[in-house]
Amino acid sequence: MADVMAQSEADVAVIGGGPAGLHAALVLARGGLSVVLLDESDTLGGQYYKRRAEQLTAAFGDFRPRGTELIRQVRDSGVDCRTGTLVWGAEDGGRTLFTSDVRTGALGRVSTRATLAATGAYERSLPFPGWTLPGVVTPGFALHLATMDRVPVGQRVVLAGTGPFLLPVACALLEVGARIEALVELNHPYRPGFSSIGGALRQPARLAEAARYLLTLARHGVRVEQGSRVLAAHGDTQVTAVDIAQEDGSVKQLETDALCVGFGFRPSTELPRLLGCATEPDPSGTEQLPIVDADGATSVDGLYVAGDCAGIAGVHAAGVRGQLAAHAILRRLSPERPTVRLSGLRRRARALDRFAELADRLYPLPTTADIPDETQVCRCEGVSAGEIRQAAATGWNDLHGTKAATRAGMGPCQGRECGHIVAALAGRNEGAAECFAARMPIRPLPMAATVEGQEVP
Amino acid sequence: MNQPDVVVIGAGILGASAAFHLAERGYRVVVLERGAPNREGSGTTAGNLHIQAIHTRRPGQEVPVDSARLLPLQRRASDHWSQIEERLGADVELRRGGGFMVAETAAQEAELREKHEWERQAGIPTEVLTGDEARKQLPLLSDRVRAASWCPLDGYANPLLITPAYLTAARRLGVEVHAFTPVTGIQRVGDDYKVLSGDRSWTAPVVVNVAGPWITEISALAGVGIQMSPVAIQMHVTVRVPPVMHHLVQHIGEGMSVKQVSAGNLLIGGGWPAARLDMEGRSSVSVPSMAGNLAQAGRVLPFLGGLRLLRMWAGPLAATPDEMPVVGEVPGHPGFFVAGGTYAFTLAPVWGDTLARQIAGEAPADPVDDLGPGRLLHDDASTPVSP
Repeated sequence: MADVMAQSEADVAVIGGGPAGLHAALVLARGGLSVVLLDESDTLGGQYYKRRAEQLTAAFGDFRPRGTELIRQVRDSGVDCRTGTLVWGAEDGGRTLFTSDVRTGALGRVSTRATLAATGAYERSLPFPGWTLPGVVTPGFALHLATMDRVPVGQRVVLAGTGPFLLPVACALLEVGARIEALVELNHPYRPGFSSIGGALRQPARLAEAARYLLTLARHGVRVEQGSRVLAAHGDTQVTAVDIAQEDGSVKQLETDALCVGFGFRPSTELPRLLGCATEPDPSGTEQLPIVDADGATSVDGLYVAGDCAGIAGVHAAGVRGQLAAHAILRRLSPERPTVRLSGLRRRARALDRFAELADRLYPLPTTADIPDETQVCRCEGVSAGEIRQAAATGWNDLHGTKAATRAGMGPCQGRECGHIVAALAGRNEGAAECFAARMPIRPLPMAATVEGQEVP
Repeated sequence: MNQPDVVVIGAGILGASAAFHLAERGYRVVVLERGAPNREGSGTTAGNLHIQAIHTRRPGQEVPVDSARLLPLQRRASDHWSQIEERLGADVELRRGGGFMVAETAAQEAELREKHEWERQAGIPTEVLTGDEARKQLPLLSDRVRAASWCPLDGYANPLLITPAYLTAARRLGVEVHAFTPVTGIQRVGDDYKVLSGDRSWTAPVVVNVAGPWITEISALAGVGIQMSPVAIQMHVTVRVPPVMHHLVQHIGEGMSVKQVSAGNLLIGGGWPAARLDMEGRSSVSVPSMAGNLAQAGRVLPFLGGLRLLRMWAGPLAATPDEMPVVGEVPGHPGFFVAGGTYAFTLAPVWGDTLARQIAGEAPADPVDDLGPGRLLHDDASTPVSP
């Protein structure tokens, strides 16, 4: 192995260059530790502080300048920033990380004294008839096109699903000239006098943000249809129409050339789970979250998690959680340093947590029981909901047995997309969220370096 | 069915095969499985049908296997596998595309010639090819291949399909399969065994212990001390690619097996040791073994370097201390049968048939007295657990 893997060392590895990872790396480096920041993307920033290409920045201005500034500070602080570097495996409680250069496939091994996973989240998709048609995308993809490339995902867009994220996506689409046929929200989050509004009032800035988006939508005449959901998408080679089940039970059809459907976000927990950290079901009951203390320490000694991968709470919470985890790591590795007062950060973290809890209550997820049998659930392997239900109905199979019996979750995404749905469809025990085991490599790994790297013994 | 004729403990490939063969003869069978069927070694193995003799040691294996002894059984297994899909009424992605056993050194080539003689005696068709002859048949083979033994009977069956297929066929014949039913005690009641799982029990004159790595634990419940040496080995699978290779490619000197499965993925294995055997949960893979196995496979089949590794996993292998399979009735414990050990996948149909014959009081199709569990007995079995 020594000859195929480039070795490197650092006091701390931070995995993920989004808000949590950037804030953490900055605190760690300013605290005097050597820090390596590893990110799979070409640029730092993660999803929220995504970087616009230079020409587009020149034409349309900087996207989220706060991110530009944060990244500059991180680079200036001496953090070893390795973009285009995939962490595909880990051992020793995270003190050994296996990496691969995304462009060349070159392998590396990073040895650390502590590791912070700040791997963010995925968008949650839920299958419905027609969801694999071209033109059916996630809200995040539409947002990426609109903000990074200034391209609308379609001319007549239907946004659907649930969650506060649909609002900024709708506004970004309007800004690039798309017409929004409807914003179809499953739940009823936007009505005055909601009983939990007290929880939100502690975060007036967040509420004001939502109100601003709603105002923009109203100004453009966008219908926000609450209590409604997408039943099916239709089209031959491309989505052309969407069936919407409305609150009164009636079904209407909308013509569209792009359907963006998302149900919030799911934490990306493969790395902590691979390292065997203790987990518990998330508020939705569909994901396994690493169990952490107030500083993001997991049950695995030396392994910390922060940001959305520790539970979906958004960009502000990610920054705060990243800093708290970094301070905990500093206390651990540099115990001689004077104590830093963190009460302000902790207070802020608790307030942001309450806001996240409110969001969980406002935007509950739909049941998977409604997914028709013929609907494809695992796109990689082409496995339908019915096949999964059938495998589970033998009574022989747990989630892993269901995977083995149907191949659901065995494709290139390794169940990242469908795992939570397969788990819900195959669940043997009501309420206990199973999930596919995290396995190396965390992403498909080019084999060239391994295959060529070793001579005959 | 609380009083079946036979209680089979373990729903891996051996338990499933034994249940099927017994049910075909009219026995009433109950299969008890601690977790999900096919969840352990049987579902995590490579799925190779080894008809020609393979390397005698996995990487790290101390005692070599006696290849020549096993060949008649492999010959028998070949016939069973030829009929298996028809017999079970199921598609198990059976492929008999033949296999190359490659050699890179003169010593390895000599080994090929030696085993060719054993194979001839056992009635297994093999042919030793030069490197060029082998490359003519399979141009994907690298120049490193100096010679190769070719056997047209080698093949593959999908390990995720064969055990469920056996169980489904067995169920059609009246077999009861109880998943998530761990055996917690085995008591001798007169001439019968009372097998307990919590507060449930089944009483039968015959128990078949095919619990793989847990053979020792299950035997101990009945007061039988059987020594096993379970290890964990690992497998690697690439992303799907269009069909490129329909042969099984293996290495005579080291653990290596490569084939492309029906779905298009290439499976790379060879018994490389996993990082850790975990009898309670999932065993963990070893990155050095991954690197070793992939480097070696890429040396023989360089096109692998252009693919992506999709996933790897580790699973238990119920090895015996002498690395030879075990099958038969435990001396001194009438009605208590054990089967397991290496080559269990290839030999599963043979062992199912052998157990059924032994339980019926018939002679097995091939003599297996030397493979009985007597050689693995020791005295210090823990006291049987009482409810």
